[in-house]
Amino acid sequence: MILSKEKLGALVEQVKISGALFAAPAVDGGQVVMKSVNVADEISFDYVITANSAKEYLFPQTETIAVVEIEKNKVKLSAVEPDAPETVLFGVRPCDAAAFASLRSVFTWDFIDESYTKREDKSIVLSVACTKGDEGCFCTSVGLKPDTTDGSDLQLKETTDGGSFVVEALTDKGKEFVKKFSDVFDDGSADTKAIFTPDEIPGGVDIEKIKERLADPAHYADPVWPELARKCFGCGACTFSCPTCHCFDITDEGDVFSTERKKNWDACQIDNFTLHASGHNPRDTQTKRWRNRFMCKFHIYPKKFTTKGCVGCGRCVRVCPVRLDITEVMAEFSK
Amino acid sequence: MEEQLRKEARRLLTEGEVAVVIGYGWNSRKTRVTPVFITNPDDADKLVFNALCVNNLSIYLTRKYKDIKALGKPAIVAKGCDIKNIVICVSEGQVARDNVYIIGMSCTGVVYKQELWQGELTDNIMPTKCHNCEVRNPHVTDIVIGDKVDFTPPEEPTGMVFDKIREFDRKTPKERWDFWIDHFNRCIKCYACRQACSLCYCERCITDKNQPQWIETSAHERGNLAWNLIRAQHLTGRCTECGECERACPANIPLNLVNSKQALIVKESFGYKSGFDMEEHPPMIVYKPEDKDDFIK
Repeated sequence: MILSKEKLGALVEQVKISGALFAAPAVDGGQVVMKSVNVADEISFDYVITANSAKEYLFPQTETIAVVEIEKNKVKLSAVEPDAPETVLFGVRPCDAAAFASLRSVFTWDFIDESYTKREDKSIVLSVACTKGDEGCFCTSVGLKPDTTDGSDLQLKETTDGGSFVVEALTDKGKEFVKKFSDVFDDGSADTKAIFTPDEIPGGVDIEKIKERLADPAHYADPVWPELARKCFGCGACTFSCPTCHCFDITDEGDVFSTERKKNWDACQIDNFTLHASGHNPRDTQTKRWRNRFMCKFHIYPKKFTTKGCVGCGRCVRVCPVRLDITEVMAEFSK
Repeated sequence: MEEQLRKEARRLLTEGEVAVVIGYGWNSRKTRVTPVFITNPDDADKLVFNALCVNNLSIYLTRKYKDIKALGKPAIVAKGCDIKNIVICVSEGQVARDNVYIIGMSCTGVVYKQELWQGELTDNIMPTKCHNCEVRNPHVTDIVIGDKVDFTPPEEPTGMVFDKIREFDRKTPKERWDFWIDHFNRCIKCYACRQACSLCYCERCITDKNQPQWIETSAHERGNLAWNLIRAQHLTGRCTECGECERACPANIPLNLVNSKQALIVKESFGYKSGFDMEEHPPMIVYKPEDKDDFIK
């Protein structure tokens, strides 16, 4: 099946007419980001990976989960239904698509978080396999591929002439999507561009070895941790741009008479993330906070779930202002 | 130059004059530089200095870094622009001048972001601060590494940030408001701008104070505006325009624009340029009877 880039305009238009949101890579603030587009002309094709991950469409940075209103002697508490529009996520890289499966594992684990599942149920993921990448990419080191199909409903591969995509429908949702917008998809096949393969991480990576070393609490005292991580200055850029990071904070906003309860992204790298009300902070140095993030990806998460704690998108490597490269730590712990 | 730097680092560590040298080293692929903390004289050869050394390492001198403090007295590899931040930290009582050994680096400019590096430092990949630099020969040091650099900054500030400021000054208040709301809307509240700044040294930021929540932590229009205004205002007259906040911002918000505009206003109003004099306090934290008050209308 073929989707010609010329017909993308019609697809965007029809999707918009159906009332759905169409999010795709587009330029904003000088970089290519996943954003809601109105016409196909806005869509960028020249990108390695979008600066933000697509997770914000299913797990927004900020959302209201409840409202409290006080009227004289009455307190009115009301839950707020998640705003879950039909959403088409176009041009998502396969690593980001795989990350949706990771988020689902967390948000359906011991409690079904409907604000996530409702959005995911109403979304359709059209991933585009990678034909280029950069030094940050490392999906192959975590067991994924630049054309991994996990989490994708449809996967697109750019044709050799660059004018179209070869489309593969992977799920029922994907097949229904093709049926619904059948006039933009053509039968046929074509040669596709070569898939990009990330460079090997210097020193090599062995995920099983990393898991094994992190399972042994002796590593807590390993002097290699401060060596590797003391330069971290504790911003949330890596966690907020990470497609699998899922921590959030609950905070109340408003005044005495009307308050909104907000669910906002939070980051384990920020110093007060683990600050107790007593004033005690179990992760009192940046080294401990960074170690926790690494352990979350490669020990804590894989112990609970079969999906990936890290999908190798490389955003944390690219955005880190001190270039604390997670792949260097992976190589160190593969020894 | 690097040899001279390594020699000095080796001497400092061997003689026990300092316990750690905070500097720059290569990543494992030798494509980017990253902060390194050298405690063993044998590791001094890991130190490098080149046009990729854009990070302002003075952040590691602030009190938030307890584990770095615990190592003992630091020496720091610092460009003139980085030293400006150390000067402010000294003048504000955050760092004792005697407790840091400043290895001042003669500098011919650095890249705006390491990703822009193509093997050569050209004008268009240098940040605005480098085009107007008054401290290519570092001004407050314990030793200077490198030859004297012959560079006179232009009288009228030049570069992309100042071009934008001039363009901005011609806009209507409504247009300026829309511009900032549009940019701040991209803020994801990761606080990389705050964490990258050695002058944002508070151990408890106003945005972390949640009883009551003074600054809304939500990344919505109101919360983003409040945060970005507070950040800017807390740096008025203190900011040295090192540009680390903008470099660290994953959302590409043009923070240098607001910082440099503020610096221009402070210079005009108080004749003060931050980062040069350890004895003088930044104007917004002191009162002087002769302060101008003609901006109060």
